[in-house]
Amino acid sequence: MRILHLGTDSFGGYGGIALFNREFISALVAHPACEEVVVLPRLIPRQPEAVPDKATFVTGAARGKFAYVRAIRQALRSGPFDLVVCGHVNLLPLARLTGQSPLLITHGIDAWKRLRDPISNYLVHKIRGVISVSDLTRERFIAWSHFSGPAFVLPNAVRVKNYGVRARRQDLIDRWSLAGKRVLLTLGRIVGTERYKGFDEVLDAMPALLRAQPEVVYMIAGSGSDIPRLKLRAAELGVADSVRFTGFIAEDEKPDLYNLADVYVMPSRGEGFGFVFLEAMACGVPVIASCLDGGREAVRLGALGPLVDPTNPAEIRVAIEDALSSGAPRAIPEGLEFFSYENFERRTHAIIDALTTA
Amino acid sequence: MCGIAALFAYGSDAPPADADEIDAITERMRPRGPDAGGTWISPDRRVALGARRLAIIDLTDEGTQPMTDTDGDLRIVFNGEIYNHRELRARLERLGARFHSTTDTEVLLQLYRHDGASMVELLRGMFAFAIWEPRQRRMFVARDPYGIKPLYVADDGSTFRAASTVKALLAGGQIARAHDPAGVAGFWLMGSVPEPYTIFRDIRAVEAGTSLFIDENGIRNTRRYYSIASTLGRGVKDEPAARLVHPPILVRELVTDSLRHHLISDVPVGAFLSSGIDSTALVALATEATGQPPRTVTLRFDEFRGQAFDESPLASRFAQRIGSDHVTRLVTRDEFISELPKFFDAMDQPTIDGANTWFVSKAAAERGLKVAISGLGGDELFGSYPSFRALPRIVVAARIPFAASTASRLARNPKAKAAARYGRSWAGAYLLKRGLFLPDDLPALMGADAAEEGLRHLSMIEHIAEAINPDPGTAFGRVAALEASLYMRNQLLRDTDWASMAHSLEVRTPLVDATLLRQIAPLLLVEKERCKRHFANSPRNPLPDWLSERRKTGFTVPLAEWMDLAPDGTSTRMRSWARMVLERWS
Repeated sequence: MRILHLGTDSFGGYGGIALFNREFISALVAHPACEEVVVLPRLIPRQPEAVPDKATFVTGAARGKFAYVRAIRQALRSGPFDLVVCGHVNLLPLARLTGQSPLLITHGIDAWKRLRDPISNYLVHKIRGVISVSDLTRERFIAWSHFSGPAFVLPNAVRVKNYGVRARRQDLIDRWSLAGKRVLLTLGRIVGTERYKGFDEVLDAMPALLRAQPEVVYMIAGSGSDIPRLKLRAAELGVADSVRFTGFIAEDEKPDLYNLADVYVMPSRGEGFGFVFLEAMACGVPVIASCLDGGREAVRLGALGPLVDPTNPAEIRVAIEDALSSGAPRAIPEGLEFFSYENFERRTHAIIDALTTA
Repeated sequence: MCGIAALFAYGSDAPPADADEIDAITERMRPRGPDAGGTWISPDRRVALGARRLAIIDLTDEGTQPMTDTDGDLRIVFNGEIYNHRELRARLERLGARFHSTTDTEVLLQLYRHDGASMVELLRGMFAFAIWEPRQRRMFVARDPYGIKPLYVADDGSTFRAASTVKALLAGGQIARAHDPAGVAGFWLMGSVPEPYTIFRDIRAVEAGTSLFIDENGIRNTRRYYSIASTLGRGVKDEPAARLVHPPILVRELVTDSLRHHLISDVPVGAFLSSGIDSTALVALATEATGQPPRTVTLRFDEFRGQAFDESPLASRFAQRIGSDHVTRLVTRDEFISELPKFFDAMDQPTIDGANTWFVSKAAAERGLKVAISGLGGDELFGSYPSFRALPRIVVAARIPFAASTASRLARNPKAKAAARYGRSWAGAYLLKRGLFLPDDLPALMGADAAEEGLRHLSMIEHIAEAINPDPGTAFGRVAALEASLYMRNQLLRDTDWASMAHSLEVRTPLVDATLLRQIAPLLLVEKERCKRHFANSPRNPLPDWLSERRKTGFTVPLAEWMDLAPDGTSTRMRSWARMVLERWS
């Protein structure tokens, strides 16, 4: 079986979508019937990781739109493909160039409402099937698109061995003045157009939290244009001294960052899934997720961590207080195994089998 | 769902709590809770609690009230339903709490023990309760955010009294029956008595979304913990999140979540069904959520046969479409006339509405239902009252120089004449739009002195303006806050309470839910009046055009025909009905 993977970024990419694509491609090449996966990335912003065997990573595809189209044509000339994977709804018009109905992957807000591009809205009816990272995203996609074909849920995977419960790094404690502090953490892009991560909601809870526990510190990790506004908000609330902005966090520093936290809290409204919850749990950090987006599926509807209504400040405050007062030693929750890479690979193969046998 | 009562002789000079009084108050509420009842008096006779119970969650005797917690310390009487009681219980058990029942009542006790007064912010539901803390010698009292469940109090400076109904408080025999001119004036102006006033001078409502303590010094720490206006105002900030999702899907998700909570019950839950979008979409979503349609009830009146007001043909057609076990109940003039004594006896305070809920509740109870869901609140939530268009226009027009004064001079309609006087403010425009009578009419209705005193105490414009304080910031938000905080609270919810409880039926209102409002407010502000259409399209199988395109008529009964009401300048003759209500009620 030959598979063509059209994606935004994967190897050499940042963020959750790139990670999902890397794991998905790894799972595809591990399928017993797979002969080759040709991977065409739109972006390669950093040095790529090692690409698995049987995966052909076409770096030239990332040189621009025309290069991408050329890469598709070249790939098609290399022989027929049994399956075309379209890694993002924005790539549907390009995927159509293959002449095949692609398997579409939807990640989150990209697929929660009708697309701006009318051609893409038409093309969603021409897909072979859809994979969504969460049931929420699948339901939302089907509801507006009225797609009636095969629709699968494939949640993100986390490789626990890359994380683990570790001692707090002293240099990081010093860097962010965290000695003796109880640390709340949220990690994400901090941009004004994506103001639904829940940073504001946690900031709003800080005054009440600090009245009861003055040693609480809120770490807002990540980079973006909305940081000045959040700093101003923290100052208005009188909690600026108890808020830390870390700036950009490199991938290899993330496990140590999570290990600084007593609670990972993200009362968000726009997460397709919320891979960060898996990372935090893989570091043994208790998590608090939102009941209004895909984050609830990352904590298995509350089994792995409490759900809060991001619109209710009292719920957020109480959940944080409960987590801080639990006294339980940090540990990786047993149920996290549900999101192991092995399970991800097994689910991927089941999807491929269902599609190709159908 | 119950009727509750509490007495607290907090003053050192107050006589002890009287067993006969608490018994009389509680007994007056027997229809609210026919399944069980009980009273409790503290050993020092300073506190008495009473309750009548309509058993819906945990049908065993473990749910009997007044209830104590496992330590036998705190004691509670509670009227309502806590729809998130399972989630709260799970949290409390994780924190070490132990329970002796599966009731939501006990969850309230344990939640209060753990979180104190801030517990009210964690509750999803309709409620009014009183918790007695013997160690602190204080009572904690709270009412739900929208004011779905009633709670009335009387405080004479040394004894605090509370009950679910005004008439129950009076039945205790210790409260004077002197009318409050402010309450009477409010009734003439709006067709219902605006809270916190009641028709009696010595009785006040605990305001919606409020909690308070009573200790040896009397009422303390009254706190407004929820405000509809604030919630709508905060929604503006979250508009970007609302734009992420296809609107009908977001409506479906959020309303279905509310429905799932409102369907939690240990007895079957039925539904009121009309041919409007709110009840039909709710029933459709409930069918999707549970896999089977609820039993449904619709009213039919011969007087409306062949008219748009007759809801029964389309309701029956819809019931057939979803496969619900449906009953159309015919209500005749003879039945109404014969029910009038009971109707006025159950009517807790004068109101020009309630007959529709009275009969649909009666019909539901005849079907053996103890619980029914209603689409009440859909018009306030989704902006489908004419006021959502009219109020902004009135305010804008009245502020055009000379326009309002010219219209006032030329108009024959009394409300148009009053446009210059009232129309410039949102509160004044609301009075013009919703008012039954205007302040100038009151001397003729209740006497010049009483009208002057009533209007002075009531300060109607300021009273209305409180509903939009803080300012929701948008025209849609202002009208939504006004309608939900005034008309819906003082008229629809209150009438639904007494008219349904008279038939021992609990009415649940999934569209009147503080959590739903918080979550959906950003979408409301983005989509405005389009939200009703999104609601119609929210079921997986959207409402058919013959329902969603139907002209809005309102859920009405042929009162004018039944009572031979005299023409009064209104199409519904509600002014004549109001006169009759005040005569017959008192």
